[in-house]
Amino acid sequence: MSTTASTGAAGPRPLSEGAARDSAARPAVTEAAPGGPGRRGRTGLLFVLPFTVAFGLFMVWPIVYGIWMSFTDESLSLRGTSFVGFDNYAEAFGDPDVWSSLGNTVFFTLISSVPLVVIALAMALLVHTGLAGQWVWRLAFFAPYLLPVTVVTLIWSWLYQPDLGLGNELVTAIGLEPVGWLSDESVAMWSMAVLTIWWTVGFNFLLYLAALQSLPDSLHEAAALDGAGAWRRLWSVVLPQLRRTTGLVVMLQILASLKVFDQIYILTKGGPNESTRPILEYIYDVGFTGYRLGYASSISYLFFAIVIIVSIAQLRFFRQGD
Amino acid sequence: MLLGAGRWPRALGGTALIVMAAVWLLPFVWAVVTSFQSEADVTTPGLSPFKGAFTLESYREVFDRGNLPVWAFNSLLIAAVVTALTVAISTLAAYGFSRGTFRGRRALMALTVASIMVPPQLLIVPLFRQMLAFDLVDTYWAVILPQIVAPMMVFILKRFFDGIPRELEEAARIDGASDLRVFWSIVLPLSRPIVAAVGIFVFIGAWNNFLWPFIVTNDSDLMTLPVGLATVKDAYGTVYAQSMASALLAALPLIVVFLLFQRRIVRSVATTGLGGT
Amino acid sequence: MSLPPPARGISRRGLLRAGLAGTGALLATGSLASCASPAASTGASSLQVWDPFSGGDGMLMDEMIAAVSSGPDGFTVDRTILEWGASYYTKLAMSAAGGRAADVAVLHLSRLAGYAPGGLLDPWDLDLLAEFGVTERDFTPAIWSRVQHEGTVYGIPLDTHPFIAFFNVDLADQAGLLDSEGQLLPLASPEALIAAGEALAGASGGQGIVFGHVNDTAQNWRQFFGLYSQTGAEFTLPDGGTPRVDRDQAVRVASFIRELYGGGPNPGGLDYNGAMASFMGGRAGMLMSGEWELPTLRDSGIALGAAPYPQVFEQPAAYADSHAFVLPRQERPDAERRREAHRYVASMIKDSLTWAGAGHIPAYQPVISRPEYAELTPQSSYVEAGEFVVLDPANWFAGAGSNFQNAMSQQLQSMLLGNSSAEQAVDRMISEARTLLDQPNPVA
Repeated sequence: MSTTASTGAAGPRPLSEGAARDSAARPAVTEAAPGGPGRRGRTGLLFVLPFTVAFGLFMVWPIVYGIWMSFTDESLSLRGTSFVGFDNYAEAFGDPDVWSSLGNTVFFTLISSVPLVVIALAMALLVHTGLAGQWVWRLAFFAPYLLPVTVVTLIWSWLYQPDLGLGNELVTAIGLEPVGWLSDESVAMWSMAVLTIWWTVGFNFLLYLAALQSLPDSLHEAAALDGAGAWRRLWSVVLPQLRRTTGLVVMLQILASLKVFDQIYILTKGGPNESTRPILEYIYDVGFTGYRLGYASSISYLFFAIVIIVSIAQLRFFRQGD
Repeated sequence: MLLGAGRWPRALGGTALIVMAAVWLLPFVWAVVTSFQSEADVTTPGLSPFKGAFTLESYREVFDRGNLPVWAFNSLLIAAVVTALTVAISTLAAYGFSRGTFRGRRALMALTVASIMVPPQLLIVPLFRQMLAFDLVDTYWAVILPQIVAPMMVFILKRFFDGIPRELEEAARIDGASDLRVFWSIVLPLSRPIVAAVGIFVFIGAWNNFLWPFIVTNDSDLMTLPVGLATVKDAYGTVYAQSMASALLAALPLIVVFLLFQRRIVRSVATTGLGGT
Repeated sequence: MSLPPPARGISRRGLLRAGLAGTGALLATGSLASCASPAASTGASSLQVWDPFSGGDGMLMDEMIAAVSSGPDGFTVDRTILEWGASYYTKLAMSAAGGRAADVAVLHLSRLAGYAPGGLLDPWDLDLLAEFGVTERDFTPAIWSRVQHEGTVYGIPLDTHPFIAFFNVDLADQAGLLDSEGQLLPLASPEALIAAGEALAGASGGQGIVFGHVNDTAQNWRQFFGLYSQTGAEFTLPDGGTPRVDRDQAVRVASFIRELYGGGPNPGGLDYNGAMASFMGGRAGMLMSGEWELPTLRDSGIALGAAPYPQVFEQPAAYADSHAFVLPRQERPDAERRREAHRYVASMIKDSLTWAGAGHIPAYQPVISRPEYAELTPQSSYVEAGEFVVLDPANWFAGAGSNFQNAMSQQLQSMLLGNSSAEQAVDRMISEARTLLDQPNPVA
């Protein structure tokens, strides 16, 4: 398990595509020229060995073993395991909870990804205007991203507390009925999205900010000389320049949102009435709470297939756009 | 400057920025205010943030009976070991991939890059099964080992090493330096910024990781901060001021580190987050 | 990859806390082994115990642990409280599978069928327990029948906690429902309970009997299954078969529940807290709920009475569950620690009069026969419920905090909210139960 995935939706998994320039990494994208003196051949292997062992043990092996598990009825309890063929996959396709949790995941992805990209862009543009106190803005927007998920859920469970929380205090202060932020089936997922936006928007914000700062100033100046107004410059000069970054941010964000688990599990356990349960939690519920490791594996691989399809579709989409 | 010219856009932008920052800081402020009140004052309805007298009661309680110090220790230990191991094996591997000529180098690198597509969250079931088989469930090793495989970081570092001119290394090699020597005294010093960036990114990830430590530790004494705070309750039920106090204490280390190393962290997230271009 | 066993114990925690300042130094050595080494020094001295009790129960548990920890033979106990619910049981199973679980944990006996057959629990040594003064004879047969799997004992019950009837003494008195000693008169037929509701509503000027169930994952099932068991009909979930349910009796019970809470004096659409608030505010005469609400209800200041759930059908039965001590599976059990675990559980059970303060009926009968217990009111008014308790049908997926209870409750809730008839509700319950039974059984 690589560390980058740690914060659930918080850590959009970095991908190979690059857009922002930064002085820390002074790269050349040239492929290493093969060859070199033959005597180094073996040493290269030794350099790679420790990683390869870890990679084999904790990445390749679980992937392969997981596939095997998905064809068995392996259980968390200590009773024996037998091969069941495609039974698990057949069951998963017919399992309404697989589909409803998948639906919840997609819904969450939709309602969280759009604001997470748009708000991040707005923040970056505003900060980039060069108002004094850069570090204050950066701290305000990025600091939540550094919080462990439980800190975020503790703070927000207090904000969402039905009788005393800030949310309902504000709502009732303007004369509305208190809201069941986490207890109302039609509201709970939105509350999760709001929390997630607050928590993780800082990451996208930083990516945008880095991209903005790497834009050549000459572009603006040329446009300014043209006499283009600020809005026009934004639309016709800056935003087109950010296209690649936007493509990347959207892609990372969708993949991150699809993998949501932590904050939902901690705050609602997928409730009320399973209305917020994402597919990852269903895998957890089936595999660990319900002991059925084999069945949980099969659902994992179905979801994996979906993630791969989404990634490829996005790659294609943005490639075409270029 | 982007919107620099007009007076209007500037004023508008400034206001928007201030409002947004205020909204983003509000939850923090609310948590801080709550944490410095007594439990009784907190549970009195009312919007005013200053309904009760200032008190350190909840912080005292947290220190007295909480497991917070143990969990903080575990978090620090685990994040530090994960970072050290990840940086070590990733840097070595990246250099090996960049300069090596051994058979299967391209295939192995391709496999590593392909594995970036695998969401680690989907491996929890087989990984847990593996930890059962290794008899590691409820140990530090079970938390650490699966976290040290970071193909993305290998990829980023390899791209960086690819960009370092080989002439320097060749010169040293002519002087008779071994490969490891060359790596250690020539390549690494040149790579300090990117290695630091990777290290910071890995550390933040490990410090905040929830799902895997949550799966593989059941013993309260082995839990990390996020897992312990989410899992272990105390006998007295829900107490809001105390919850906020522990949340803020748990948030503090990384926030302080951020304030100290702001530029470097921002840079590291931007570079590693984007794949190091 | 052989590693030292994980460190445990309170002394390690102390050490860590003290050593926090030296963290940097410790890390500098880079040795994980150095962190695990204190395990050797703690040895068998401190017992790791797990339970899901917070709030009132949690504080009483603290008191009991403090009591058995004092004195020369006292235990050093490292208590971990995990959030009650499915998450507690998940952690329990995962730690047992991992083989480094706590020494002693609390488990609802209704969940035993999900743990013992799968090898996730280790059996109790009855001879050892007898040595410490606890034997089978100290428990009621109703509860003892549920501590075993294939003849081996896996759970030592601390309590039974039935679903009972709380009443407002003043209102019940006005309604003429009390005997000369202030106890609830028998309400021995469906009609009698319905009439009692009307009489109580008359006395309160508002509601008669309240029952909170909307969005609750268990309350409906608790009440239904208690009443169903009063009919004497069978409800079992045989592995690999279909649910054995007497549909006619189930419909009869469901219809009665529907009639009882059919609006009028007894509202049918309250949620858990709503029913509690209504009863505590004196606006309702009787509350059907678990005895664990006793401390909260007593704090409200109303004159509180309690009784077993009225026996309105043919035979006595009370829906209940039982907190029992279990030994989660250990990969390498230490004989000395195991012995301590037995001694600890025996001490706790003998000391369970404290536990009765939370409303629970101590399972250890010698405690109930003590005069101090008889003086506990209203606890002593419903103690007889402990003799005819029924627990969930035994199956791996049933029991406290399970999907099964939730699935059953949902159907009954839908009926009480007027969305389905009693027949439909029962048919859906049976079909839900069948779906759960159709899943491959992962423990056997």
